[in-house]
Amino acid sequence: MEAPPCSQVEELQQEQEHGSSLVVGLSLCDSAPLLWRFQDLKTVRSNSLVGALLGSLPRTPRQNIRLGRPLLLMPEEERVLREHHGAAALSAWNQDAAGAAELRQRYEEEQQRSLEEQSILALEDRKLALLRAMTSSSGSESGAGSDEALQCRLLALEQNFSFPRSALAVQLSTARAGLSHCQEACAFLEADRPIREQDSPRRDARYQVFRDLWGRGFFLTSAGKFGGDFLVYPGDPLRFHAHFIAVCLTLDESICMLDVLSVARLGSNVKKTVLLCSPAPDGSVHYTSLQWSGMM
Amino acid sequence: MADQNKTGGAENFYNEILSPCELFAARSRSHKIPARGQKDFYPDDSEEQRQRLQQSLDEHWNLIAEERVERLGNLVKATWVPSDQIVELQTPAGKFWQTMGFSAEVKQYLLPEEALYLMECGNLLVFHQDLPLSIQDGYEMFLSSDAMSLQQYQVFGHLKRLGYVVHRFDPSSEPSSYVRQLNLPQSRERGGRQLKRKRSPSPTPTCSHTKTPGESLAEKMEDDDKLPESHLMTSAEPPEPQTASPHSAAKGQARTWWMMDAPELEADKRSSPGSPSGRLRWNFSTIPFPDLGSTSRPRCMVPVDTSLLPRDVTVGVCDLDSWMRKINLRKVKMSVKEQQREKHRRRWDVNKDREVQRCRNWAEYHELLARRQAKRQGRPAHLWNREVKPLHDPTQPISTAELLEKISVVKSTNLLEGASRLKCSEEWRICFNVYQPDSVADFKKSNPGKPYSRMCVCSFDGPVPDLRVIKQLAFQSGNVPIVYAVVDYGDISFYTFKDFQLPRDVYA
Repeated sequence: MEAPPCSQVEELQQEQEHGSSLVVGLSLCDSAPLLWRFQDLKTVRSNSLVGALLGSLPRTPRQNIRLGRPLLLMPEEERVLREHHGAAALSAWNQDAAGAAELRQRYEEEQQRSLEEQSILALEDRKLALLRAMTSSSGSESGAGSDEALQCRLLALEQNFSFPRSALAVQLSTARAGLSHCQEACAFLEADRPIREQDSPRRDARYQVFRDLWGRGFFLTSAGKFGGDFLVYPGDPLRFHAHFIAVCLTLDESICMLDVLSVARLGSNVKKTVLLCSPAPDGSVHYTSLQWSGMM
Repeated sequence: MADQNKTGGAENFYNEILSPCELFAARSRSHKIPARGQKDFYPDDSEEQRQRLQQSLDEHWNLIAEERVERLGNLVKATWVPSDQIVELQTPAGKFWQTMGFSAEVKQYLLPEEALYLMECGNLLVFHQDLPLSIQDGYEMFLSSDAMSLQQYQVFGHLKRLGYVVHRFDPSSEPSSYVRQLNLPQSRERGGRQLKRKRSPSPTPTCSHTKTPGESLAEKMEDDDKLPESHLMTSAEPPEPQTASPHSAAKGQARTWWMMDAPELEADKRSSPGSPSGRLRWNFSTIPFPDLGSTSRPRCMVPVDTSLLPRDVTVGVCDLDSWMRKINLRKVKMSVKEQQREKHRRRWDVNKDREVQRCRNWAEYHELLARRQAKRQGRPAHLWNREVKPLHDPTQPISTAELLEKISVVKSTNLLEGASRLKCSEEWRICFNVYQPDSVADFKKSNPGKPYSRMCVCSFDGPVPDLRVIKQLAFQSGNVPIVYAVVDYGDISFYTFKDFQLPRDVYA
């Protein structure tokens, strides 16, 4: 079988329970970093990285308002994770033939077990339903006679009951079940990961600004629709509105007045303050906010 | 069965697999999404805010963590064929078959993006090497930058979730510009709507008119036919035989046969226009031209001078009557003013005009007449006879709309002008045909009809499509509008470029 086009081959390390350490399993899809496992999403959020959900929500797949896993990370978010040694690549689809056979067998066994258990549960469920129906219909009448009838009915039910395979409830997993290996493998990640984009000064500026704002406790998401680089939230975006639109520029870059005007206009229209952000050589970041004011 | 994070041992099996008990219990899950409440403006570390945040987060995690559980009987089973990058159905297709998938030979197939979408909806179970694929496996195996990239799948999924029918765009299945020009009834068109091919703009009409030569000729006739021919005979100098242009040299020669012998032509070229150029062969003053039209005409004609005739030719008496009958001899009724004008004109000798005397030949005389005519009409030569002419003759009527057209510096154009010459770009291409949701009921895959729009997928990181790309893609798409779906990580924005005519405050 040919290699899938985009996944990694390296393994990840043991995940820790506390959200303070950032280790999550990244997987690449078409060279975009995605998080699939529910715990990883929680970990990342608890460290004030938001990301963007891309998939259909399992409960209601045919709507676009709330989406489900996977979570796509911005390049800045991914870089922050990697610099804090928090990202490792998830295992790929197992190509090993012997391993595949073992997995197949395990899958078959699990399906069979599931069928048996669910069959039992279904029968229990039907019995309960029957009991409820019979006791409610019989009312206050109780005695050996009705008990017997009940037992008869229950027995008949059990004998005639069948749980076909088509009634089996199966799971369509979101994330791939994988094996995790020990910690040494994590060190390989930094070297092995190819650099996807060339580091341009703009990209670097973006990252410096991101890291600075993130370090101050803000939540940041992408702001393409708002004509800027980032939307800056004072708290979790689930509960708060964004306060700023961050536009990242290098210190020596000249900006056309028309661009400043258009972004200021946009900001005032959506009731957000525009921040012009430039990283300084000493590592700090200069911020300039634009406020539309009248003549005073 | 399997739970989360069984620690210990060399092997850690991390998964989010539900136990059969949980799977069974999933039947009675709610299918509602909790509504989101109002957002706060600023975090103020209050307990109330913290609680609300926690509640929102818990709701969020509940929804995100939920796994898809389906009855096996409701699922369509399929296998992934990596060599063809296609998904082959193993059990018969469900309702989705009306708008998705295709058959080849006896089997039913789905394209990778269609299969992935159905997996996400919980309708399809895809196997590979006899093991079921997770959604993650689907994303990683089905999506790649050559066939269907992640961004394109994002747009695909977004539109499908809204209910649109989305198919891949195949440029070869579009009729070529030639076919469109022929306006053939499209077999694939629904409703038989003919494509109206916009005609290429006709060349702008030149505003300079060249009616002066003809006009001058007519005028010359009008001028001359009243004059008796005898005036022509007595021109002071013979016109210069040679004209400037080489191609009329032969003509010039032909015109001068009455003037001189052929060998003398050389000498004439050098002679000045003012002086008589060579001997006159005939003395025109002694050759009468009979004026049969004038009132005081002789009823008979002077006999022909035999010396002028070629040898062996004899001429009898000319019967005038038959010829006279062919002439309109009615006297022209003229008003007093006209009679006076006529008298004035007969007195005036055109040969006395200095400018006329300066003309060396008929061509120059025509030019003189044309100039005079133009001046009379308000078209002075210094304006109209140069390379740069006035845009419009003020004496000519013109509507305001046309005049505005003439003086406009920037001509308006339409999007498709010049688009047929453009070559396809490498980076930009149309990805999808999109059909409206309400057409799903009678949608036919074999004959989908005209799409509602066509999608081109790009991102905010990439370049904005320039005019060249817009023209080329609009041309390729024909009469279906193109929508640019711009992907920004989680968000998709849709843009379209429309032709727009600037309003003109003119009623033509």
